[in-house]
Amino acid sequence: MGSNGGNVDRRDVIKAAGAAGTAGLVGLAGCSGGGGGGGGGGGSEYPVLGNYPIEGDTATLGFNVPQSGPYASEGEDELRAYELAVDHLNNGGGWVDSQFDDLSGDGVLDYQIDSVSGDTATDADTARQSASRMIQRDDAIMVTGGSSSAVAIAVQELCQREKVLFMACLTHSNETTGANCVRYGFREMFNAYMTGQALAPVLRDEYGSDLEFYQLYADYSWGQTVQESMNQFLTETAGWEQVDSVATPLGTSDYSSYLSEAANSGADVLLLDHYGLDGATSVSQAVDAGIDENMELVVPLYNRPMAEAAGAAIEGVFGTVAWDSQIDNTPSQEFLQVFQDEYDRVPSGPAQLAYSQTLQYAAAVERAGTFYPPEVIRQLEGYEYSNIGMGPETMRACDHQAQRDVPVVRGLPESEQQEGRYFEIINITSRDELGYACDAGPAAECELGEYGDE
Amino acid sequence: MSFHIEAITVLLNGLQQGAIYILLAVGLSIILGTLKFVNFAHGALYLIGTYAGLLFALEINLTSGLLQEWGYGTLGLDLGYIPALLLVPVVVFVVGLAMERWVVEPFKDRPDTDQILVTFGLAIVVQEVFRIFFGSSSLPFSQPAWAEGAPQVPFLAGIPISSWRYYVILITAVLVAIVYLLVEYTDFGLVVRAGTRDPEMVELLGIRLSRPYIAVFGIGAALAGVAGVVGGPLNPVNPTIGNDILVPAFLTVVIGGVGSIAGATLGGVIFGLTYAILVATFSSWAQVGLYAIAAVILLVRPQGLLGEEGVAP
Repeated sequence: MGSNGGNVDRRDVIKAAGAAGTAGLVGLAGCSGGGGGGGGGGGSEYPVLGNYPIEGDTATLGFNVPQSGPYASEGEDELRAYELAVDHLNNGGGWVDSQFDDLSGDGVLDYQIDSVSGDTATDADTARQSASRMIQRDDAIMVTGGSSSAVAIAVQELCQREKVLFMACLTHSNETTGANCVRYGFREMFNAYMTGQALAPVLRDEYGSDLEFYQLYADYSWGQTVQESMNQFLTETAGWEQVDSVATPLGTSDYSSYLSEAANSGADVLLLDHYGLDGATSVSQAVDAGIDENMELVVPLYNRPMAEAAGAAIEGVFGTVAWDSQIDNTPSQEFLQVFQDEYDRVPSGPAQLAYSQTLQYAAAVERAGTFYPPEVIRQLEGYEYSNIGMGPETMRACDHQAQRDVPVVRGLPESEQQEGRYFEIINITSRDELGYACDAGPAAECELGEYGDE
Repeated sequence: MSFHIEAITVLLNGLQQGAIYILLAVGLSIILGTLKFVNFAHGALYLIGTYAGLLFALEINLTSGLLQEWGYGTLGLDLGYIPALLLVPVVVFVVGLAMERWVVEPFKDRPDTDQILVTFGLAIVVQEVFRIFFGSSSLPFSQPAWAEGAPQVPFLAGIPISSWRYYVILITAVLVAIVYLLVEYTDFGLVVRAGTRDPEMVELLGIRLSRPYIAVFGIGAALAGVAGVVGGPLNPVNPTIGNDILVPAFLTVVIGGVGSIAGATLGGVIFGLTYAILVATFSSWAQVGLYAIAAVILLVRPQGLLGEEGVAP
C-alpha cells in the first residue's frame, strides 16, 4: 500500500483537528496531504466524520451479536459467519472470489480487515453499550449484528449519531426500516409486513378461509409488528378473524399458562410470534400439551437453530425463513460449501445474513473508493445485486430496505429431519408479490436523517 | 369453552408452576431457618440437578462448548427419567455436603452480606463453568415419551396441559410430605427444630448439631436437584437457569415464612396460582402483579404467612 509514516501523521493531524472542531484546519490539512492516500480510508478529499479516517492500515469491523439470552444460538452462528467473511476479505475465498467482483481478497482498499465482537445479551441497553465501546475504544468503522429488533433499532440509532455504518443482520420488525429507520442503517432481512404478505395466501390455501386465529407475541418491537402485520394480512387476504392476541415477555421460559388460555379460546389457528429459543420453547410446549391436536400452529418467522431446538414439535408448522441451505442456486450452495468446510456444520439463515452483509459493506467501500461513510451509503442506496442467493435484489434508497424474495417453509416430521434440514420449502415468494411503495406501509413512516456531509 | 374447564386449567397450571418453586423454597427455607445461612447458590444446585438429570436420562448432542471441541459431541447415559429421578438427588446431596463443609461452615457466623456475596459468587462460577463446558446454547430436554400430550382420562380430557406437569405436581407433593414427616415426627427432626430455637441448649444436652445441620443442607440441596430434573423438561436448559429461578424461589420463601415447610408450600401455591390467574385475566400485568402481591403480603405480615416471629433471621 502507498501509505508511509508521513501519511499516518497526516491522519493524526486530521483526527486531532476534527476533535477540536476546527473545520478550516481540516480543509488545510486535507489539501496539504498530497498523493498516496487517494483510494484509502484516509483519502484526503474528505473531512473527519465518525471513525473516518482510519488510523493505521487495519480497518476494524464490530460484530455485535447475542452470545447469551434467548437468541444466543442465532448469535453464535452469526459470529461464525462474520469470522468467515473477515477471513475471505483478507485472504480470498467464498463469495469474495466468485460473487463479488468489487472485492479482491486482499483486504479492502489496501486495508487489512480486523474485527471485534461483543455480547448484546439480547438486550437493547447492553447492546448499545457494547456497540459504543466498539466505536469509541476499538474505532470500528462499521458495526453489524442483531437477532433482536429492539437491539438492532437501539444500535442503529447510536450508529446514526456516531456516524458509523450499521449493517443490520437479523432484525424483522417493521420499525427497523419504518418509523425507526436511519440513514446509517441498511437491512437485507425482510420484515414482518412481508412475512404477512407471503404467509397469508399459503395459510388460506392450506387451511381454508373463515377461520379464527389467536396470537401470542413477544412483547417488544418485533413481536408487536409481527402481530399487527399477521392480523392485517390474515384478515385482508385470508378472510380470517382474530379472537385475541396476547403479549408474552421476552425470555419467558414457561408458556404453559399462556398456551392454555389460547387453547381454551376456541380458535382454529394459533400463531406463535416468538423467535429463537422462545420460539422453540413455545412451540414445543404447545405440542407437549397436545394443543396441536385441536389447533393449527404457525410460527411466522423461524430459522435452523430454532427448528433444531424444537425438534419434532415443528412438524407441519408453517413459517418464513431468512434463507435456507436448501435453496438451489449457485451463491447459496457456494456459501453452504465454504461454511461446511470451515465449521463442519450447515449454516443458518442468520449466518447467511451476517456473511452477506459484511461483504456487501466491503464491496460498497471498494466501489466508493473510500471508507468515508456518506460515500459508502450512496453506493448502497438503490444498489442492484443478485449475488447472495436470494435472486435479484434492490437495496431501496428511500428506506434502506432490501426488496427481495421471501421463502415460506413447513416443518418436517422428526423422522425426515436431518442435520441442517428441518423444513421443506413450500415456495419462494417473489419480491414482485411482496413489498410496498416508498409512501406506503412501514416506509411511509421512515425519515432517514442526515448523511453527515450536507 | 366452558367455565369449569377454564378454571381447572388455571388451577392446574398454577399448581404446576408453584410446584417447582415449592421444591426450591422448602430447601432454601429449612437451610435459612436451621443454619441461618443465606444460600444464593441454591439456583446453582438447581442448575447442577438439571444438567445431571439431562445426562442421566437422555443422550444429547452438543453444538458448542469445550466438551464438543474435545470431541465429546454426544453425551449422556440414556438411562431414562426414573433412574435420573433416583440418581440426581444423590449426586446433588453429595454436592450439598461438600458445599456445607467448604462454604457454609467457614461463613456460618459471618454477616448475611458475606454469605450472600460468597454464595452468589459461587453461583456465577458454577454458571460459567457450565457455559465453558456445555456452551451457551439451550439443550433439548424432552419430556418422557410416556408423559407427552394431554392425559387421556375422562376427567382431565380436553385440558391443554401435558401429562408430565401432573407428574411434577405429584412428585412435589410426595417429596414435601416426606420432608415434613422427617422434620416433624423423627428424632432427627426434633434435634433440628430444637437447634433452630436454641442451639446452645441443644449442645449443652450433649448433642452435636453439626451433623444434623450438614444433613439439612444436603436434603435442601437434593430437593433443588429434584426440582432441576422435573423442571428441566418444562423449560429450556442453559447455564443461566439457576440465576433466573433464584429470585422467584426466594420470593416464595419470604411469602410463606422462613423456616416453615408448610409456609414454603403455601408460598409456592400462592405464587403459581397468582401467576396463572393473572395470565388468564390481565396477562400484561402478570409479572408486575406477582411482585405487587408479594409486597402486600409482606406489608401485612412481615414474617411471611406462616413464619414465626423471632425465628426468622
